Formats: sequence, structure tokens, C-alpha cells
Amino acid sequence: MEKELPYVPGQMMALMTAKELKDGEIVFVGIGLTLMAGIVAQMLHAPNLTIVYESGCIGPRKWRVDFNVGDSSAADGATALTSEWRVFGDLQAAFYDVGVLGAAQVDKYGNINSTAIFGEGDYYHPQVRLPGSGGGNDIGSSVGRTVIMMKMQKKRFLPRVDYITTPGYLDGTPQARQKAGLVGGGPVAVVTDKAVFRFDPQTHEMYLDTLYPGITVDEIKSYVNWDLKTAPQIKTAPLPTKEELAALKRADPGNLVLGREEARRQIRDIHQYVAMTLAGRYHGL
Amino acid sequence: MQHNQRRATNKQMTLAEAVSRFVFDGATLTFGGFIGRDCVAVVHEIVRQGKKDLTVIDDSKTDITDILVGAGLLKKWEGAYFGYGALGLAPNFRRSIEQGIPYRVEVEDWTNAAISMRFLAAALNLPFMPTRSMLGSDILKYNQKVKVIQDPFEGQPLALVPAARPDVAFIHVQRADITGNGQIWGFTGSDENKVRAAKRVVLTCEEIVPPEEIKRQANLTAIPFYCVDAVVHVPFGCHPQSCYGYYAYDVLFCGQYHEMAKTREGFLAWLDTYVYGCRDHQEYCAKVGWDRLFALQHLERQFNRLPA
Repeated sequence: MEKELPYVPGQMMALMTAKELKDGEIVFVGIGLTLMAGIVAQMLHAPNLTIVYESGCIGPRKWRVDFNVGDSSAADGATALTSEWRVFGDLQAAFYDVGVLGAAQVDKYGNINSTAIFGEGDYYHPQVRLPGSGGGNDIGSSVGRTVIMMKMQKKRFLPRVDYITTPGYLDGTPQARQKAGLVGGGPVAVVTDKAVFRFDPQTHEMYLDTLYPGITVDEIKSYVNWDLKTAPQIKTAPLPTKEELAALKRADPGNLVLGREEARRQIRDIHQYVAMTLAGRYHGL
Repeated sequence: MQHNQRRATNKQMTLAEAVSRFVFDGATLTFGGFIGRDCVAVVHEIVRQGKKDLTVIDDSKTDITDILVGAGLLKKWEGAYFGYGALGLAPNFRRSIEQGIPYRVEVEDWTNAAISMRFLAAALNLPFMPTRSMLGSDILKYNQKVKVIQDPFEGQPLALVPAARPDVAFIHVQRADITGNGQIWGFTGSDENKVRAAKRVVLTCEEIVPPEEIKRQANLTAIPFYCVDAVVHVPFGCHPQSCYGYYAYDVLFCGQYHEMAKTREGFLAWLDTYVYGCRDHQEYCAKVGWDRLFALQHLERQFNRLPA
């Protein structure tokens, strides 16, 4: 019998997001884990997935990780290199199927906050100032459907986010998005490091759909600050296969996205970093 | 609008000259690139010259605006993204907003598409552009400049964003000639609109080439000479950010900045070493180390190389 394969929660989040992306689709991604999900989907089940970046890059083939959407690496093997307003125009004109967005807070109707966590303060005096929308609002407003990625943490799953950076289903009332003038379809899933959530087509309320192995409903509910509904039959996600784990490793060879400072400290100097990146380029290591 | 007077004359000057001539206290600036092909050397020079009370209108930026906040020079940020990419949040920006250290920078939140429409509007000499972004969001609640109207033709809600006309745009390009024809490889961000929107434009470049060289690949001239006031030769002018075809992103250098800048003292020590402690960009390159810069150049050229 095969032993259970170890994985880190961030990897499972990227993998489960990758499974939301279908072969042949055009996906608008950001950096970090959202990009990893796109790369892993291309390696596993969606070789014809086209990645688009807001900097103006269409259809890259990735051999190295990007740390910013405007890195030269974002353009590696691209089909087209154009301008920012052109890809946002294509987004607004319904050319793109799916967007993957990170978030710091999400609410029961899939609205996202990536601007500021107010805490005891307000927008002008927040507890934590976050980067802001970037292209997140634009993607969530106009793309065909949205997949949201975020870690399960206390006070991050709320009845109402402190600040709606990116609209989900707004107040959840019928046609709320259309009435606001939004052309995109809205969120279909929230993928976390412990479970996957989806949205009720009638009420637009987020519910628990899939648990990762070893996670319980009660544990999930302890993170969620409203009376969370669950699917009639809650699914359990399978453990990642060897192939899936290998793809995740190849997508981030130095573990620099998931491992952050600690992984960077393992690298002696720039020459080692260059050698490591080129090994991935030529040998897919 | 005054008729443009800029001609195909020799506009070459030093970085110190360009910053001192065009940037004034209280100026509104924008920078080219998109966290990649950033005007890092330019910002270091602005800091050395102590130009203050600046406003930056921009889409997405990381270290250059974080340095301006930490150095106490940025009064207002009108932008969409102010973080540190996959490395995390922007340390000086956080300290400024959350704790008022060294002061509280004024913030106006936008989205990338909205900012790109603001530059497009100005580039077209129009007062505004409509967009379908931001509708229903709290950006509208706090940003009074966005106006939501009913589209007079189809009746749908639309957000109107005003033209952005900065005093100066700094754009780093791979190649330019001395009259200011600038060529960009890789994606172009909003650069072609920023140069048409700004009152003054300074191009910095990796290489200055003869006009015949520009004409060989005229498709790549995103910036024609008539938009440009100054041309400055600044090789490695984006380090630690990347420059497509020239050098890769220096994740280790940025990582070190990001860790040091988590404390005010750490940031000031960094600033002393790499900005105040360098007379010019040449000294910065020497301090960073030419072998390091050439290693990043080597890495980039295994992926992206300009055609000969």
C-alpha cells in the first residue's frame, strides 16, 4: 500500500485552484500562488491554457517563477507582448474566461478586500495597509468567472469585508452585479489551504463544498464568522499524486514563492541563484 | 492646450541634470514600467536631490515609491498597487499609513485599468474616459474623483475617470536615440500613454543608438521624439528590478531590502548605503557589484535577447 504523500498547505491550495482551470481556457492571473496554479494546470491537465498578465503579456510559457507581473520573466515564451490598457480592454470585452485572485478578507457573498484591514481604525487609519486593488478589481469586475485563493485564518472570513476592493455578489440580492453595471460573472470558488467553498446559484451565499484530507467541518466553521452552510454531500479532496507534487515542485524550483525569506536565505549568492534558475530552464529540474 | 514645441534635437543630458531641471518641489510624477523596467536610478537621484512634496500617479509600483515614502518625499499616492510583489507588503508604505512614521502619506486608491484609462484620456486630449471597473466597490466610496453615470446611449452604469496629466514622466527604455525616439521590448505597460499625458518627459535608457538603428525596427518605437524633453544613458538603471532582454530581477537584493526596511532604522541604514552613500548611479553599480549585474544580465539573455 502506498504511503500518504506529504504536502504543504500552500501547495494544495495551488493544486486545487489549478483544477478549476480547464484546458483551452484563457486565464488572467496575478503573482505568487495564483501564477503557480496556472503553471501547474498547464503541466497537468490543461496544456492549452493561455495565461494573461496585466502588464501586457499574453500566452507565456514558464520556466522560472515571477515575483512581479512586470518582471521580464513574465514575458518568457509569450505569444504576444502588448500594453496594459490593451489587455484590460480585452478583459472588459469578454475575451478572458477566468481570473485567479488572492485576498486578505472575503465575505459570505464573495466580496474581496485587498486594500486595508481596518481593525479598530478605519480606511484612513487601518490596522494593516495592504497593497490595494492592482488589477484585482478590474479582473473581478469583468472576467467570465473568478476563483479566489486565500489562507484560512481567523477574522478573514466575514459577514462583510471592511472594504470591498473587488466585487463578488455585493449584497447578495438578485442581479446585484448586473444592476451595478458589472459585466463579469463573479466568483465561483474560494480555494483555501483547508477546504474549497462555492456559491449558491440562488442566494449567492458561500458554502463549504470540499474538505482536504484530515480536516473537519467544525474546524472550518471555527474560522468563519457567519453561520456557514454546507453542501448536502461534502466532498473530500484526494491527496496529491506523485505527478501533481512533481509539477508543484517544478513550478517553484527554489521554493521561493512558498518558502519566502527562509528559502531565500538558503541561497548563497546571486551566482547560485542564476545557476539554479538556469538548471530549471534547460533541464526542467 | 499649448501646441507642442518639442523637435528632433539633441536632448542628451546627465541624470542629475534631468532631475534638477524638470522635477520641482510639489511636482506630480509618473514612472514607466510595471514593476519591471522601473526607474530605480531616477528615484535614487530624486532622493539625493531631496525633491519634496511629490505626488505620484501610477498603476503598480514597489520599491521606488516605497523609497520615496521612507525618504519623506512623497506627499500623495494616486495609484492602484503599492506592495512588494510576491515578497510581501511595502514596509515604508505600511509604516506611514499604520503608524504615521515618518508621516502619513495621502492615499487615493484606484485600479490598474482605471489608471491606464486616466493616462489614455490625457494622451487623447480628452477630459475623461469611461470604464466598467470599480462599479459596486468601495473604491467609489472613498475616491471622489470617480463619477458614475448612466451611459447616454445604452443606459448602463459606467465609471468616468479624469485625465491624469503629471508634470513629469520618467520612462526607462531599452534603446533610444539622442532626439528621444524610444524603443521598448517586452510588454509596454502604459508607457506610450504616460509620455503623451505628461507635460515633461525624461527617457532613461540602456543604450543610445543612432537614428538608423531605430528605423530598422520602427514598430518598437513606442515613444516618438516629439513627446520627449531629455534622454539620459543609464545602463542597469532598473536594478534590482528587471529590464527585458538586458537583466533579470534581483530577488536576493529585493529580499534584503524588504527585510531591512521592516524597521525604520534598517531602512535608513539601507538608504545611507545605497542612495546617500553613492554620488551617482555609477557608484551604486560599483557598490552592488559589476559581477552581480553581469550575472543578472547573463541570466536574462538565456531567456530573452534582443534581435541583433
